[in-house]
Amino acid sequence: MSAGTERVFTPLLREVGQGLRMPLPAQTRILRELEGDLQALTAQFVADGVEPTEARNRAMEALVPDTQTVSALGHIHQTWYRKITQRLPAERVLRLERHTLKVCTALLLGVEGVLLVGTDLLAYASVFLWPVLALGSLNFALVLWKGFELWVKRDHTRMRARLDGILGLSFFTLLVGITGAVIDLSRMAGTVEASPELAGTLVRLWLVRDVGLLAASIMLALTGALAWFVFTTWISHVEHAHQEIVGTTPVPNKE
Amino acid sequence: MTERDFDVQGFARDINQLLILSALRTGAKHGYQIALDVETESNGLFKFRHGTLYPILHRLEGDGMIRGSWAKDGGRRKKVYDLTTAGRKHLTGETDRVGDVVARLMSVLRHPGEAPA
Repeated sequence: MSAGTERVFTPLLREVGQGLRMPLPAQTRILRELEGDLQALTAQFVADGVEPTEARNRAMEALVPDTQTVSALGHIHQTWYRKITQRLPAERVLRLERHTLKVCTALLLGVEGVLLVGTDLLAYASVFLWPVLALGSLNFALVLWKGFELWVKRDHTRMRARLDGILGLSFFTLLVGITGAVIDLSRMAGTVEASPELAGTLVRLWLVRDVGLLAASIMLALTGALAWFVFTTWISHVEHAHQEIVGTTPVPNKE
Repeated sequence: MTERDFDVQGFARDINQLLILSALRTGAKHGYQIALDVETESNGLFKFRHGTLYPILHRLEGDGMIRGSWAKDGGRRKKVYDLTTAGRKHLTGETDRVGDVVARLMSVLRHPGEAPA
């Protein structure tokens, strides 16, 4: 079968895909399976002497799911999360999700706080460490929410939403860290100029304080950037697979 | 078998599942090939239309009765299904059950008023 003939099914597959209410990877797998079967069955009919257009129509009649079948497929491929929450009103589920996210973020911040208090980092903390930690925590909440949306809730309606926010916050965290270290350095230089006898002590203090600040900002920024990279790679992979079948960037239905 | 074992509404669904499992007894097949084989072997009595095959296949796959895998064919990936050990066992057991149900049904239809032996 030629490539031109193969693409005959693309609009049809796109239409079927629009009715499939399930996570995008499952939708892609179903459409790929359907495409393979449509091509093979058409080829078989043609080999049996049926005229190509008629062969395609017969294959479509046998294999293309009607509304009821599409709905049954949606039910079978429902995510476990959807199965658990489907009896609750959507607004209540959303409220519950937001509360859970807040609790998870607060718990992690608590653990982080306990660990920080246990180290010398806070004893000599730069004033810029606090905005860095606040930005890092906000970014963590965004990463947590995105991961939950993509892999637990498996709601792929707006996969790329908030990704720029994660990368932007990562960059901003690093920027605040570096700027803070430079400002601290400039302040220290001013003090050393006024009191050169304190130079040794001040330089050591700056090192302890701002190495901690730089390390924290770099670590938080890298973690955010890594999460952004993982999300983007996964989304691109999923979108590319779907695009291969339906020919357009996916705009899936909400489950 | 007791009356509680038999679900009249689910019987048609069970038959469809058994037809698919039976078609896979001879080896791994694509979805369309399963549909064709069922139609051919039943002389056109059983037909899968409008993609009704897929929910049954996916349910059977989810239940571990069949195993789906992707095979490359001319650069395109196609899904192939194979019967699992659990599926083979299920097919044997259910075939006996369906035989029993049909025998009882025929007994009722042919000899109304007589209790089955």
